[in-house]
Formats: sequence, C-alpha cells, structure tokens
Amino acid sequence: MSVSNVQTSLVDRAPVPIRTRPVRSRRQRVGYALTVLAFLLPSAIPLALFVLGPMIAAAGVSLTKWNLLAPPKFVGFDNYANLLTAPQTGAVFLHTLFYIVGYLPLVYVGGLALALALNSRLKGRAFWRSIYFLPVVTSWIVVALVWRWLLNPSTGIVNTVLGFVGIDGPGWWTDPTWAMPSIILASAWKDLGFVMVILLAGLQAINPELEDAARVDGAGWWRRLWSVTLPLLSPSTFFVVVISLINGFQVFDQVYAMTGGGPNGASEVVVQRIYDLTFRYGAAGEASALSWILFVVVLGVTVVQIIGQRRWVTYG
Amino acid sequence: MNKKLLIAAGLIGAAAVVLSGCSASGGGDEGPVTITYTNFISNDGNEDNLQKIVDAFEKANPDITVDVTTMPYADYGTALQTDLAAGTESDVFDIEYANYAQYQANGVLAPITVANPDAYKKSLLDAYATDGTQYALPSSFSDVVLYYNKDLFDAAGVDYPTADWTWEDEKAAAEKLTDKSQGIWGDHQPVSFYEFYKVLAQNGGQFLSDDGTKVAFNTPAGIEAAHWLVDKSGTVMPTIEQGQGTADFDTNLFKDGKLAMMHTGIWVFGAVADVPNWDIAVEPGNTTQASAVFSNALGVSANSKHPEAAGKWAEFLSSSDTTVDVRLDAGWELPPISDDAKLSTYLDKGAPANRQAVFDSLDGIALPPVVATGQTEMQDIMTEELVEAQSGRKTVEDALKSAEERINAAIAG
Amino acid sequence: MDERWTARSIVLHVVIIAGAAIMFFPFLWTIITSITPGAGLTQTPALIPENPSLEAYLRLFSERPFGRQIANSLFLAVITTVVQLITSSTAAYAFSRLPFRGRGAVFAVYLATMMIPLQVLVVPLFVELKTFGLINTFLGALLPTFASAFGIFLLRQAVNQVPRELDEAAMLDGAGHFRTFFSIVLPNIRPALATLTVFAFMGSWNSFLWPLVVLRKPELQTLPVALAGLQGQYTTDWDVVMAGSVVSVLPILAIYLFAQKYVIQGVASSGIK
Repeated sequence: MSVSNVQTSLVDRAPVPIRTRPVRSRRQRVGYALTVLAFLLPSAIPLALFVLGPMIAAAGVSLTKWNLLAPPKFVGFDNYANLLTAPQTGAVFLHTLFYIVGYLPLVYVGGLALALALNSRLKGRAFWRSIYFLPVVTSWIVVALVWRWLLNPSTGIVNTVLGFVGIDGPGWWTDPTWAMPSIILASAWKDLGFVMVILLAGLQAINPELEDAARVDGAGWWRRLWSVTLPLLSPSTFFVVVISLINGFQVFDQVYAMTGGGPNGASEVVVQRIYDLTFRYGAAGEASALSWILFVVVLGVTVVQIIGQRRWVTYG
Repeated sequence: MNKKLLIAAGLIGAAAVVLSGCSASGGGDEGPVTITYTNFISNDGNEDNLQKIVDAFEKANPDITVDVTTMPYADYGTALQTDLAAGTESDVFDIEYANYAQYQANGVLAPITVANPDAYKKSLLDAYATDGTQYALPSSFSDVVLYYNKDLFDAAGVDYPTADWTWEDEKAAAEKLTDKSQGIWGDHQPVSFYEFYKVLAQNGGQFLSDDGTKVAFNTPAGIEAAHWLVDKSGTVMPTIEQGQGTADFDTNLFKDGKLAMMHTGIWVFGAVADVPNWDIAVEPGNTTQASAVFSNALGVSANSKHPEAAGKWAEFLSSSDTTVDVRLDAGWELPPISDDAKLSTYLDKGAPANRQAVFDSLDGIALPPVVATGQTEMQDIMTEELVEAQSGRKTVEDALKSAEERINAAIAG
Repeated sequence: MDERWTARSIVLHVVIIAGAAIMFFPFLWTIITSITPGAGLTQTPALIPENPSLEAYLRLFSERPFGRQIANSLFLAVITTVVQLITSSTAAYAFSRLPFRGRGAVFAVYLATMMIPLQVLVVPLFVELKTFGLINTFLGALLPTFASAFGIFLLRQAVNQVPRELDEAAMLDGAGHFRTFFSIVLPNIRPALATLTVFAFMGSWNSFLWPLVVLRKPELQTLPVALAGLQGQYTTDWDVVMAGSVVSVLPILAIYLFAQKYVIQGVASSGIK
C-alpha cells in the first residue's frame, strides 16, 4: 500500500487527542499487550541489563568507600553528606550550569541560522553542509589546539582584533574568569553542525505549502520564522534542548581538552570531578554519590521540560 | 511483517553466538603455564622490542608462555583499576613509582622473591620494597637533566654549565642569555609538583615529614625553592599567557634555537637531535645536588595463580642481559642495573656528548614523595597552587600555605 | 524565484563561505601536521609544511595493526548502527502510537538512562560483563550500545510528526500495528532515520572509555584507543597522531554524505515536500 497519493490537509492542525477506543475483548487486550511488548522489548532489555542495572549498582557503590583496589566498605550516606556540604560540589555544579547557560543559546541560534541558510536555495548545499559538519567529527585534541591558538592572550587573532578596537583582550583560557567562556565558545562552534543536522531534518518535514501560504498572506521573512517555521520546528527544537541539557550537565571532553579544569579548578565540571574521584583519587563511592546527585538534578530539569512540552511543542 | 522482525532477531542471535566466540582470552592451566602481562612501557613504538625480550624468556623457560597486552599510557591507570576492581588483572603488570605505595598498602601486589638482587641498582630496588619485602621490581629509569644550547652560550659569551654549578650560576647565566627583543629566553623549568619536590631537595628541604603523614615544605627553604621556580616566569622564561605550560612548549622553543637552557627528561634526546650544538649537564642544586629520577616497575598480582612464573618473568624483563641489550640498542629508557660496565655502550650513542651526566645525576636523587592515600590529589594540589603563584594571583608564601592545608587534608585518608 | 543574485543572496553566500573556511580550518591543520614529519604540537599552525611526506601514514599502518583496528571499529559501528535503528524505531513507535498505562513513566525511565555519566557505569558494567564472560569480546563491547535513549528520543519526535491520519487510513484498510509501522511510519521518518544513522555510527566510532576497558588485545582494539596509544608516557609523535585522526574522520564523513543524499531523496519521494 502506498501513501504518496494520500492527500491530507496539514493546515490548521491541532494535536489530535487519543480517541477513546471501543471496549476490547480479552483476546484483543492480550494481543495489544503483546504488541506493545514486541515494540518495547528490543530496547528495554539492553537498557535494563546494561544501563539500569549498572546504575543501580552505582547507587549501591555510592553507599561505600571504595578505592577499587581493596573491597568496598559500607559507610551509609556519608558520601552524600560530605558532598552536599563541600563547597567544591557547589562549585562544580555552578561551573557546569554556567557552561550550559552560555552554550545552549549560542549553539541553538547558530545551528538554526545554519539550518535555515542551508535549507534555502543555495548553490552546493550538500557540500557546505558537509563542511559545517566537519568540526563535529574532528577530535577535541585538535579543536582545543585551534581555539587555544585563536584565543591566545598575546598572539591570538581574537585579542589582536579586540586590540584594534581598543579593547584589552582577557587571558581567555589562562584566566580563571575567562576559562569557561573560552570552553563555551569552542564547544558551541564545534557543535553547530550537530544542531544544524537535527534542525535540517526537522525543517524538511515541514510542508512548504504552509510557508507559501504565509508568504502569500503577506507575512515577511521574520514573521514567517516566528509564526510558522519555529512552531512547526518545535519538536526538533525540543529535542535539541533536552539533549543539549542532558549532555551539557555531563560535559567533560571539551573541558578536559581546553583547560583540564583549570586554572586552579576554575572550570572544573561535575563529570570531571566524578572521573577524578573514581580513577585518580581512589574514591569511587563518592564519585557514584556525586553522579546520583547529578542524576537527580538532570532528571528534575528534564521532567520540567517534558511537562512543559504540552505548552511549548506543537506536533504538526 | 512479524517475519522481518523474527529474521532480524535470528540474525542477531546468530551473530551473538559467533561474536562471543571471537574472544582472545589466553590459554588455560593445563600443563605448561601461561602468564599474562599488561604493560604501557612498550606502547610508543617499542612493541617489537618487547617481543624480542618475550621470545628470549620463553626460549629460556620453555614451560612458561607470556601473553602480552599493551595499553596506552594515559589511560593505563583507568584500565588497571577497573581490572583490579573486577579481579581481572594480569599476573604481571606495569606500575609507576608514584602508585607503588598505594598498591602495596592495599594488598594488590604479591611479594617477589628476587633470584639475583645484586643485579639491580640498590636505590631503585629499595624504592620498591616495604618492611624488607620486595613487592615490585624496577623495570626502567630516566632522569631529568639540564639541556643547554652551546651556540646561544657562545653568542652571549657565557661559560657552559659545569657539574659544580649552583642556582646562582644558573640564574646569572640565564639572565645574561635572555634577550627578549630577539625572542630568546634563558632558562625554562616547568612549574609543577614534579619540579618542586626536586628543587626542594636541592635546597635541603623535604616534601613530607619523616613519618609521611603531613607535608614539610612550608619552611624558608621551601619558600626559597618555590621562588626559584616561580620567579623564572616572565624574566628568563615565557609566561603562561605566552604559552608556557602547553605541551612540548619547551622542546619546540629549544628546537627553534630560542631557548638557552631547559630542564627536562632524557627522553627528549631524540626530539632535539637536530639542534646543531647542544649538550647536557647535571642539574645544578643549591645546597645539595638532587636530580629527579622517574622509574617504572613491574608488580605481580596478589591474586596470581602462578606467582613464581610471574616473578621469573618480572625479573627477566627488568634485569636480564637480553633486556639490557634490547633497551640500549633501541634507546628505550635505561635498565635499572647496577653493573655500569654494561651500560657503557649508552655513552657512545651520539648527541649529547655528555651522556655521563645521566649517570652522574644518580649520585644525588630525589624520588617523588609517595603516600598511601591521596597521592594524585597531592600532586594536583601542589601544581595548582604553584601555578597560582606563577600567574601572580597569589604570593608564593600564600600558595605554599594553602597547599600545606589542602594536602594535609587530602593525605590524612 | 527569479531574484538570483540579490544583495541578500550574495551576503548569504559570502557568510556561508567564510564560515565554512573557519569550520574547515582545524581539519586543515590536522592534515598539514600529519604530513609534516617529526612535527610537534606547535603554538601556531604552520600552514606550509617544510618537507611534506606521507611517512606518518605509513608508520601508522606498519608499526601497529592499524588496518585491523580500523576494521574493528567499522565492524562495531555498523552493527551498533543497525541494531540501534531497529531498537530505536520500534521503541519510538511504541511511545508515539501505542498508548498504555504508565507510558510516560516508562519514557522517563528511558530518558533517565542518559543521565548517569558513563565514567561511573564503567566499573559495575565491567564487573557484570566479566560475570557473563564477555570481557575481551566484541559482543561485550557491543551489548551496552544496542539501545540508545538518544536514538529513541530522536525517532519518537519524528514519529510524532507523522500525521495520525495516515495511520488511521491504513488501519481502516485493515493494517495492524506492524504493517503500519513498516509501511507508513518508517518511510515517513527517513530524514530522522538518516540522522540517527550518522549519530549512531559516530557515537560508536568515537567511543573511547568502554572499548578501552573491554577490548584489550591489540587485534581487538578500536581506533580511538589505538590513537591514544600513539601518545607515549613521555613523548608523542604528533604527526602520526594527526594522521590517525585524519584517517578516522573519513568514514564518518562518508556516512554523512551518504545519509545526506538519502535524506533529500527520501523526502522527495515520500510526497511531503
């Protein structure tokens, strides 16, 4: 059966409420249950065995003191108590939050601009899209090198240009205040292509008739963006925001590559602390406790977004 | 359409059976013994050299087979600790000196009976013994020396470093050699934990108290030593903003002929081989001569099922004549042996001319301070505080005080 | 549109090209370092290599089983991608089209699996797989990658965007869920499937920590681990490392180009655009 001939009106769509189904027979219900299982089990089993299982084990580890070399020692909630009162915990969460708040708007707006530009009639779109995707696949060793070169306080291009305008450029990654902004800039730049790819797929699922209809109605480019494109793009936007938040809270590679968490811990983020505690400072129990604290934070943020989805996201 | 899903599931199932057979696990315990060895020491181009040593050992011990796994250095610790947590560690594995105390204290290392202890340099062998029992065998060592560019010295009319130099001599020379207008710097020395405990020793101080429970560097000698490191930045050495502290910074500067002296390890010989006229000298001390020595070692797992075979392999790898020859031929670090005559071929391997300095440095060595808990934290904290002083955000005195407090807390365990 | 070369269009082109140059630059630096023998990691990029040579690439393949390691990475990435496409699309369909009690909670649990860093899961996971005897096996490396909440989430968004009228029309014609899934939903989420293909492949290809601890033997090791092995305890041959980076980027780019074409083609034929 082919669907390409089915004409459907996609204008004036409100989310379709789930129809109440007629009462089903027992056999039908069992059949339905099996169907649901058939669709869910392929993903549920690996997730349960290889992610949830270890997560629960990690919760167990969080109640111990363990240096990985000798058997773990039960300490109850000591790790949590220590973490929640240590100033360093607040500091790493703050740095992580700072990262997210700086990174997300930059990468989204930049990625959106790219997606819009590369969705239009532009010569050689496929080629440009590949180029813009290159940083996403380039390793952080190289990206960190490039950005440390660009942001070099004495010889970097950025400070040189700032100098022309009469601004005394900061120490960037050598300066505690500017270390995280340096990381944010490099990260947003690197991930533009990622956001672009997601939003492009979303843009291409939008029926152009809708845009044309708006244009015919006399709406300008900016108006079309806000009234038509962005709302219809909201499922993809939602995805980008949720994923960026979840990944943002777990940021690690870029911080490690650009500043190693320095100078003097000024850019240390949560996962770096977790890694250090586990593999460098022999405190796997404390690391697990910290990751469960992180989990609660991320879960909270995500739940808020999912609930807000009903208000913010239109499914076309 | 259930069929498609079923076929897919069947394929995955079949693949699973095939894939689980694709394991490379070692042999069992039937008859001859196979021991496993995990290392990082051969991973930067010396895998074949290691294989030569393995082959020689297996020839001399036909009932023992050695199964070698090589890991990247930077992540070796992660992999080893994961193994130890799960009980999958090899019979023999590499360790660094800095981790020895912690591993020994946690019962991870089996005691080793050394057949021929006199083959080893006593100081290195003792570094891996606790309470009279040998828990690991040193497998190699390298040290830190003073490199200098003869051309730059000639141009500035400064005499070359000698074995009698002290900090004063070095400082005077560095200042004369520095010419910022030409982009020439006199002396590079990293500002880090690894340099600090050494310059502390060079100034008669010590990093830890005698019982190892707290630090002992916050003394006038310690402050003076810290200044020795920190004050170079911006005067005879570039600042952090100018790139100091990034990877290979000093080596590149030296190679470009823009650095007159640098403190770094003997592993850089190869990298600067093309610099026209350079040589090395023993690092100048202040009140004492003390050079930093780094060493890797071999441990036998406390859970090993074949501790004697493992011990034999560890001893062979660390001190046999085969090993000595292979290492010297390949320029693969120095074997920790006591017989200097065997090491003499090392002296004639080309630049630098004064290779004798590598051995002379061993007359006064500064081993890294080690503790059973908090080793890595201690190192990180020290480096952080010194860098704070170097960037001018703290005075040296405050940095040392802060380091003292933080490290004492970290190593209290 | 007959306004081919308006000012706006010119500015657009210029900005795109300038931006692309900036995007391409790090990769260019990687390539140049890889063909500069004995290169160190310099502060400033040397744009013209003095004695360009392919020595680094030769050493990559001769000094270590790099070809084998590339094959390992490729094998793992392909399997991961295929399996993730299956597990993600089926779960996405369930979360979008199969209402059941507690579905929201189950989805939240799925998402929750993304919220614990891998660094903390590594040790328990390693112990678990050791119990199954899967250390140093490809299966051991693969199993944790078979389901991805990221992929499920991505596809769920896409399935949500497929109009339910299409489902309903099919069901009126007598199609059950499986039929609808294969004939209606899957063809209509091709852009998202192509996107997931790229990201799943990339995720597996670049994955480091788990393959590091699970696959130890050199003939089993994957590319990122092999590249890390190029950085020694004291010194690093940066030209070889960069050569390795260049080689490791190529397959992802190939997949990306392939997936791109498929996206455009898929969209054109599904009658939506």
